[in-house]
Amino acid sequence: MKKKRTDVLFWFGIAFLVGLVLLAIFGPNLGTGWSKQSTNVNSGPNPVNWLGTDELGRDILARLAYGARISLFIGLTVEIIAITLGVIVGSLGVFAPKWIRGPLMRFTDAMFAFPDILLAMLIIGVWSLGVAPVIAALSITAWPGTARLIATQLASLKDREYVIASKAAGAPTFYLVTKHILPQLMGMLLAISMVDLAGTILAESTLSFLGIGVQPPEPSWGSMINTARTNMQSHPIQLLWPCLLLSLTIFALNFVGDGLRARFDPKSNAR
Amino acid sequence: MRLAKAIGVRFLFGLLSLLFITFVAFIADELAPGDAATVRAGEKASASDIARIRTQMGLDRPWPVRYVEMVGNFAKGDLGKSYNPTNGAVIDVLKRNVPMTLRLATMAIVLAALIGITLGTLAAVWENRFGDRTILLFSTLGVTLPNFVLAPVLVWFFCFFLVEKAGLPKPVFALGWDLYRTEPDWYYLTLPVLILASRPAARLTRLTRASMIETLQQEFVRLAIAKGAPPRVVIVKHALRNAILPVITAIGTSFGFLLTGSFVVERFFLLPGIGREAIEAILATDAPVVMGTIIFSGLLFIVVNLIVDILLPILDPRIREAQV
Repeated sequence: MKKKRTDVLFWFGIAFLVGLVLLAIFGPNLGTGWSKQSTNVNSGPNPVNWLGTDELGRDILARLAYGARISLFIGLTVEIIAITLGVIVGSLGVFAPKWIRGPLMRFTDAMFAFPDILLAMLIIGVWSLGVAPVIAALSITAWPGTARLIATQLASLKDREYVIASKAAGAPTFYLVTKHILPQLMGMLLAISMVDLAGTILAESTLSFLGIGVQPPEPSWGSMINTARTNMQSHPIQLLWPCLLLSLTIFALNFVGDGLRARFDPKSNAR
Repeated sequence: MRLAKAIGVRFLFGLLSLLFITFVAFIADELAPGDAATVRAGEKASASDIARIRTQMGLDRPWPVRYVEMVGNFAKGDLGKSYNPTNGAVIDVLKRNVPMTLRLATMAIVLAALIGITLGTLAAVWENRFGDRTILLFSTLGVTLPNFVLAPVLVWFFCFFLVEKAGLPKPVFALGWDLYRTEPDWYYLTLPVLILASRPAARLTRLTRASMIETLQQEFVRLAIAKGAPPRVVIVKHALRNAILPVITAIGTSFGFLLTGSFVVERFFLLPGIGREAIEAILATDAPVVMGTIIFSGLLFIVVNLIVDILLPILDPRIREAQV
């Protein structure tokens, strides 16, 4: 019974994410397009603008789609950087000589414990505003979690018999890690990257909501929520769409992450 | 003696983390285009003017020297001057804004702990029944929903929906802070504190529930039930006292969420706290204030976690024994 429910949520998540990617690819030109202003401001849903228009007469659905594109782009870029760094640091944290290993993992722990938005704001604050600083700031805050996870997994895998056998046969450490150990972790990496992607998208939206993330005229869900709230009294519906899409995306990514974890890691009993 | 040593080590770690934050701040500032000299020289200054001011301010010295000097100044409470002349020294900016943030954060963390521990205990006692399911659903929503989604929804409900649809004479809570406040403070602070507390509360609920379910299955609890202790006593005196320890650690780490949340909430409700100040400083590219406010937030985070670390062995004799 319980297994079945997780399955339903998993497939709902997959379906939603596929839909979101399609929206991000084809959506920005729906209706009157994401950037084209018109005199038809704050209109409700209609045959041309399916979700209505915002305070400058721009198509809300198209803007949501463009926001999805930006969120996914930032999220995936940050995830790729974070996982690459995480795998490198995590492997070094287990296989490097002790004088590198110790300080490196201490440093990782310190980075991990520190609230990530603070660090991201610090980096953006003294640097500049825009998409590139957001990617840099979020990558710097995202890798320690991955690195710690990889390190614990590697530490438990490196004493498995097949690894020791390969080592005894004379395989160098680099070969051991890349050929024997890391492939074992692929499933788990995929699962945690889904959950981390949710965190990154959330962080990006938070920064954009605060006005220090993606800069106008480019829309982000966070900045759309921020503009819609000034318009809240007269057009509360404009607030609904970005909030709904953001929340659903985060739910979907978490469901898919949990589902993948249950599939790849027999030890974890799916919550 | 052992305890004192353990606390000393924690303190040292706290100090190191703080040093680390200042280092990250310094490096980020170094890598950023432009420095204090270009700001002071103004937009029309020539390259030689900037170079002269840079020498005057001592910015041409090697970076390790300047970093050590910066840390020394910080230790003396000198955080530099804001680029915006009306703001004055960064330490004064902090003094103006810290009370509000502390007030919000304390109220929110106390509320979150109360809600979290109560609901978590109830959920564990009602495991897998309707009450538990409901609490679990809400806590999942609370953990996942960002507070900048929750905030507009609650504001819309309390300030507009209830007034327009239910016909209340005025909003239940204020839309935001007001310099000329006419109502008591709770009118302005209830919504911000609720929103700020929601995420830590949800997290603490889930944690208390998991910890309690585990504790309730242990033998000493069964023994207490077997010898006929009333359920309330078993739950509160025997089980909760044990189950609460990981929750207390989590209160410390939840403080991080709270700090992050306070940026959103302070900006949303226009509350004069360090979160709002930090955002305004970033938008105004006022690097000293950015660094000051964020390093201060980091300091708060470290201090709270240090307190938790010290509190834990005092509350739990087992940790006291285990610690070296």
